[in-house]
Amino acid sequence: MLRRGLPLAIAVIFGILTLVGLLFGLPEISNLILGWAAFLAGIALFLGVVNLLAVHTSRFLRNRPVGGGNVYSGVLVISWLIVFGLGIADLFGWTNNAMNQAFQWVQVPLEAALASMLAFFLILSGLRMLQGRRTVWTTLFFVTAVLVLFANAFISSPFLPGSLNQLALQFRNLIQNLIVTAGIRGILIGVALGIITLTVRILIGVERPYNK
Amino acid sequence: MELIITFSIIVIVIVLIFILARRQQSAKAPTLLRPFSAHKALKGQVGRAVESASRLHISLGRGSLIGAANPVSLSAVSILDRLAQDGCANDTPPITTVGDGTLLPIADNHVRFAAELAGNSNRLPNGTIQFVADSNNPFTYAGGVTNVIQQEKILGNILVGQFGQEIGIITEVASRNQINQVIGSDDPLALAVATTATDDIMIGEELLASPAYIEGKPFQIASLQVQDILRVVVGLAILGTAVYKLVTG
Repeated sequence: MLRRGLPLAIAVIFGILTLVGLLFGLPEISNLILGWAAFLAGIALFLGVVNLLAVHTSRFLRNRPVGGGNVYSGVLVISWLIVFGLGIADLFGWTNNAMNQAFQWVQVPLEAALASMLAFFLILSGLRMLQGRRTVWTTLFFVTAVLVLFANAFISSPFLPGSLNQLALQFRNLIQNLIVTAGIRGILIGVALGIITLTVRILIGVERPYNK
Repeated sequence: MELIITFSIIVIVIVLIFILARRQQSAKAPTLLRPFSAHKALKGQVGRAVESASRLHISLGRGSLIGAANPVSLSAVSILDRLAQDGCANDTPPITTVGDGTLLPIADNHVRFAAELAGNSNRLPNGTIQFVADSNNPFTYAGGVTNVIQQEKILGNILVGQFGQEIGIITEVASRNQINQVIGSDDPLALAVATTATDDIMIGEELLASPAYIEGKPFQIASLQVQDILRVVVGLAILGTAVYKLVTG
């Protein structure tokens, strides 16, 4: 009874309190609750780091040769130790901002490299989609993507006559400002309605995804 | 004025849910929900994984439970709950990856509960629930998830929750490994990217409706009906405003 009832009571009471704080312009209440939530989120992040280390240390030490996965785990654990060491060194003043510099030199370029590969992945994925699923919708999807790409190229091309540039601009605007925006707003309105009903279900205690 | 409108919407939604739920409870035949392909695909995933002695991979995205993505993440958790129960019952608990600290305890709780129900709580393999990266580093998260997909013997890749464009990297790796995919997100950009990878997509509200599809409780189905009513009202309001603007210039 207590196992199921207590989390339900906490969720409903704090949900209603936050709602009242937001509705009636009482930021003290909602800020206080959000402050507690942020504190708990900080602890959860710490648990996340512990989980990450536990999983990869165990995988590394077991030395199982599955596709070299243990090597990646080893790199992760060693990198973590180095960054942690740099953080400690920064804390005691032995180094100056070394942890942030390591982040800027290693993490940022790696993320940027992955992000830049995304365009190629998308093209490959689009081609694969056209090969595997030849429907009217996939064809329309691919043709539109190609046309918008060409339109973008035409708009910025200095070698084409102005009328063609203008036509490409109008075409791109038609696709982006009318069709894409309408679709995005349709999805977002649906999401908003879904969020309203789900939140109400949580507030009245019908939906209890937090409670097992 | 804003306060009155917000308060009225909440009250109307609550009243409608109660009325329609009462109707659901007294109805003799269960209400049939609109079918959608992603939900059907989800149902088949566990069966295929058990047959091939493989596991499913479920990624809950980067949506924090203390942010605006809370409802989307909670819907994703309800999908995890069902798949974990089916998977643990067949000794193939799904590998679950999360991209936010707040999702880790809730995912862990659901998978362990499912294992307890199946009587094998002590046999969850190492790495069944993994925190991959912080939500502020989307591409690191994508890199970590692709590592899991590459390393483990996975039959199905289920990405539900809040994702951005980094989902393209995950779906590409899964496609190269010929892994079935089911994707659900509220982000239009992620959905557009996911369209190239699979037909089984839960678009925004379909993901939020998944608890009702999975559990089918009267209140959940009633809330879907309320959602339909609200959708018609919003649609009519948009049309009415457009016509009014057209007429008045």
